[in-house]
Amino acid sequence: MDKNFYSIFKTFFKVGTMLLGGGYVILPLLTSELVEKKKWITSEELCEYYALGAALPGIIAANTAIFTGRKLLGTKGAIAAVTGMILPAFVAIILLAYIFIGIVNIPVVQHIFWGVGIGVIVLLFLAVKEMWIKSVTDKFTAVIYLLCLISALCGKIPLPVIVIFALVSGIVRQVFEDRKIAKGGSK
Amino acid sequence: MIYLQLFWQFFQIGIFSFGGGYATLPFLYVIADKFHWFTTSELTNMLAISSITPGPVGVNVATFAGFNSAGIIGSMLATTAVVLPSFIIVTIVSKTLEKFKTNRFVKSAVKSLKPAGCALLSSVGIKLIFTSNLYLFGTLLLILLIILSFIKKLDPLFYLGISAVAGLILGSINWIGI
Repeated sequence: MDKNFYSIFKTFFKVGTMLLGGGYVILPLLTSELVEKKKWITSEELCEYYALGAALPGIIAANTAIFTGRKLLGTKGAIAAVTGMILPAFVAIILLAYIFIGIVNIPVVQHIFWGVGIGVIVLLFLAVKEMWIKSVTDKFTAVIYLLCLISALCGKIPLPVIVIFALVSGIVRQVFEDRKIAKGGSK
Repeated sequence: MIYLQLFWQFFQIGIFSFGGGYATLPFLYVIADKFHWFTTSELTNMLAISSITPGPVGVNVATFAGFNSAGIIGSMLATTAVVLPSFIIVTIVSKTLEKFKTNRFVKSAVKSLKPAGCALLSSVGIKLIFTSNLYLFGTLLLILLIILSFIKKLDPLFYLGISAVAGLILGSINWIGI
């Protein structure tokens, strides 16, 4: 199929519509649309874009869409892809916001949301568990985790500062490892 | 002025949230505390709603927060602001893709950014447990559902559904505040 602004937008709009409950299902959805149906990119390319999208800051779905869109049609493709991807989310929330504001003070609705708040904590717990398995893999990452957790809980340090601290520690760690290797080599 | 602030706050989220999915939340809870554009309990409600609406959670919450604080224009600004850093960063990375992928400093930085993202999300969970009024039955339900999550892998929607029903029942017999 032809790769133009509209066809790229339409494809990502479809994926955006089917993306329910967070970004975790995005890879299978994109594979089915872009690799199998449209044959625009290979599965290896897509996996690489997803991995890169997950390593960069921001929303993974948006990052992946921008990488893929760029590959298909440069900056124009990137704009088409990311707009298509987020438009369904945007429209759905605007519609719901109107309903939500109208019903939020009804006692029954408040009871339901009280309960749902507990479900949300469970979802957070599951997300933390999953991230923990993937990220805390050695002593160094455990220390980073603890330091960041304590500073986030005390509430005095701005979150961007905590993130920058983690970034710098990662770079410093590599500098030290380079030195260790250089020393080992000179012996 | 509110437009500018809204844009700047969500732009920062786009730059500093690592780990996808819920990684934007720690920042949103800080915004709720600082700017009163939305309350923390509204944010929690929003999170539940975004699990049953299409699209990435981060976009959903940005749209809602923007709408709540400054109407349609606010929602457009917040949503654009949260993806704009992605656009800039991906464009830069694409141009130096081969170098970026193999650079050992980048790899090491990413490796230590991941536990940071996880830690920030953990802090949200801990704060939520202590600040929401769970009372006796909420606490019991929470413990029960977490135990259940270890026993069986269930769809996230199941937890929301069960807890919504529990809220409905406990509320109708006036047991929530116990």
